Amino acid sequence: MINTKTAITILWFTLTCVICFGSFVLKNQVHDLETELSKINNNIQKDVKTIHILKAEWSHLNNPARLKKLAAEHISLNKVRAEQIINYSALPFQYENGGIDIPASGINNKEYKKLVKAER
Amino acid sequence: MLGVTLSQKNNNFYFPGRTPDSSGINILFEETQDAGAIRICRQRMLTAIICFLIVYFIIGFRIISVCLVDGIHIFTPVEETFENEMYANTPISRADITDRNGVLIATSLPTVNLYANPKNVRHPEDIAAKLTTLFPEISFNDLIAKLTRKKTSFSMIKYNLSPAQQAAVNNLGIPALEFQKSEKRIYPHKNLFAHILGYTNIDNLGLAGIEKSLHKRLTESSKPLQLSIDIGIQDTIREELLAAVEEFQAKGASAILMDVNNGEVISMVSVPDYDPNLSIPVGNHSLFNFATQGVYEAGSVFKTFNTAIGLESKKVRIHDKFDATKPIKVQGITVSDYRGENRWLSVGEILIYSSNIGSAQLISRVGKEAQRQFLINMGFSQPLSDFETYEKGRPLFPSKKNWRDDTMATVSYGYGISITPLHLISAFSSLINGGIYHYPTIIKDNTATQPARRVISEHTSKDMRDLLRDVVIYGSAKKANIPGYQVIGKTGTANKLVEGRYVDKKVITSFVSAFPKDNPQYALLVIMDEPKGNKKTWGFVTSGWNAVPVGGKIISQIAPQLNIQTDFDLDVQRQHVRAAFVH
Repeated sequence: MINTKTAITILWFTLTCVICFGSFVLKNQVHDLETELSKINNNIQKDVKTIHILKAEWSHLNNPARLKKLAAEHISLNKVRAEQIINYSALPFQYENGGIDIPASGINNKEYKKLVKAER
Repeated sequence: MLGVTLSQKNNNFYFPGRTPDSSGINILFEETQDAGAIRICRQRMLTAIICFLIVYFIIGFRIISVCLVDGIHIFTPVEETFENEMYANTPISRADITDRNGVLIATSLPTVNLYANPKNVRHPEDIAAKLTTLFPEISFNDLIAKLTRKKTSFSMIKYNLSPAQQAAVNNLGIPALEFQKSEKRIYPHKNLFAHILGYTNIDNLGLAGIEKSLHKRLTESSKPLQLSIDIGIQDTIREELLAAVEEFQAKGASAILMDVNNGEVISMVSVPDYDPNLSIPVGNHSLFNFATQGVYEAGSVFKTFNTAIGLESKKVRIHDKFDATKPIKVQGITVSDYRGENRWLSVGEILIYSSNIGSAQLISRVGKEAQRQFLINMGFSQPLSDFETYEKGRPLFPSKKNWRDDTMATVSYGYGISITPLHLISAFSSLINGGIYHYPTIIKDNTATQPARRVISEHTSKDMRDLLRDVVIYGSAKKANIPGYQVIGKTGTANKLVEGRYVDKKVITSFVSAFPKDNPQYALLVIMDEPKGNKKTWGFVTSGWNAVPVGGKIISQIAPQLNIQTDFDLDVQRQHVRAAFVH
């Protein structure tokens, strides 16, 4: 017959063992996590360094003179002229009516058709 | 000992939280018959208890602070801390420099320096032979000298190795060779920002430009330094200046574009320039930043200030006429006009035909005191010491004693006082922006700059804009009359002073302009140093033939980039639309 004192002693002993084991497991987990964290931090540092170098390279590749040369070779775009910037109201469409094209007065039909075609 | 004694005597086991009754202890210690020991024991127990309590209290406090107080920060918005964390992770110690849109224009790359520890060197010849195969530019004898240096454990062999070079040295497996972390400053856009940025030496110490003047800021904070310069505009202006220098065989050229409403410099170019990535010999002409260092007599562009003094003083009205029929003599000097009109000229015509005689007549009504004070107010008497680039010129401003009547006359048309282009554009901006002088700056949203101040009334400023528009429509700046942008401006051609004499053929031409007239946003100054005449210019070297067309070309290209609205009528715009589809 196990008396109360013995039961309590066993309980204390078990609790101590459980706590010891728990602490051991926890410590191991923390250790693993710390290793993982330091790996991640190292990777972050490496990535940051790489990104930094890539930023410098990106800036180098975006040199306006280089872009101008590439644009001249591959796309036929010219510099914007002052006349090319116009107000909406100068366009022969009325955009207020839900985007429906209504010819403005003063534009003949042939020209209007050309513009509508161009807009498409 | 205590527990064992107790349990033996009373067969008692004390659980945590339960204390032995006093009788038990007394029985025990009565038996030991040592009251002194009991006291000492109690004291020690008390001390131990207090110590433990303190430790537990600290631990408890820390747990609460970690869980509750520090934990609160986890829930702070990401935006607040994101920027700081981002820059804290930067792998370099010198901050980047960006343009106004965030484009990187100066940065550092993490590198390593190779050094040797001579104390660990066993076979210097072998090491030197291996290293010279990797770095042929280092001489064998130099290496031997470095490797056999005595009484030192550090001998630098090569700065800034590339990762491939570092791997190659590692593969040699020589224990005496070691690496030191370092970084190398690079300028991805080479010459484009040369005079603005300056450069650093091998130890990353700023030696010129912003790198020198803001060295402390760049090394103390890793947050990128954002300039007010726009890379696109800078490139456009530099390209036009290089073309102009080529076309007119000029010694150099410079241009500054300024936001007239806050004094921010959007572009600042001076050619010839240099590549800051390469080492530059000291004293080289290309190191000279004409825009901030070049102190010169501005010539006729100064008539703009002369007119403003007259109008602001209210002693001259806009419709007043002045006798410019013949040259005048002031204290022994003769004031005459270049291709003069030889008639009475209005205030506007003095500017349109750039009359020296008219200008001298106009200022004589105001007086030299008011003239000098006005020019001091415009900032012409002092260097712009708070401007951020390191290289700055000191104006040549006559003292009050030397400011005689002839000085008054010559200053009225831009001689006898020398300023830098930066002085000129800052003061010009204040004349046309409604009368507020903004101290020039090259830092975006700079709050540390000097406060703005009123220098002329809004009314005078408006009159000046009207007069300067006429100069572009009818006067010497016709070639800069870009349709749609209402350009205003004034030209100037100043003879250069060579060995104390003005030389006719050596000139500095200037064109100072702003756009659009009704709501000026930007001011542009173009200066050419010793342009030559050619077939296209009929041999002329005056500003209207070189600086003005260059200014016009620049404005026509940058105005659309700067989102300046054109002032074409609706009908004209419709014509443009039609024309676009017809072609």
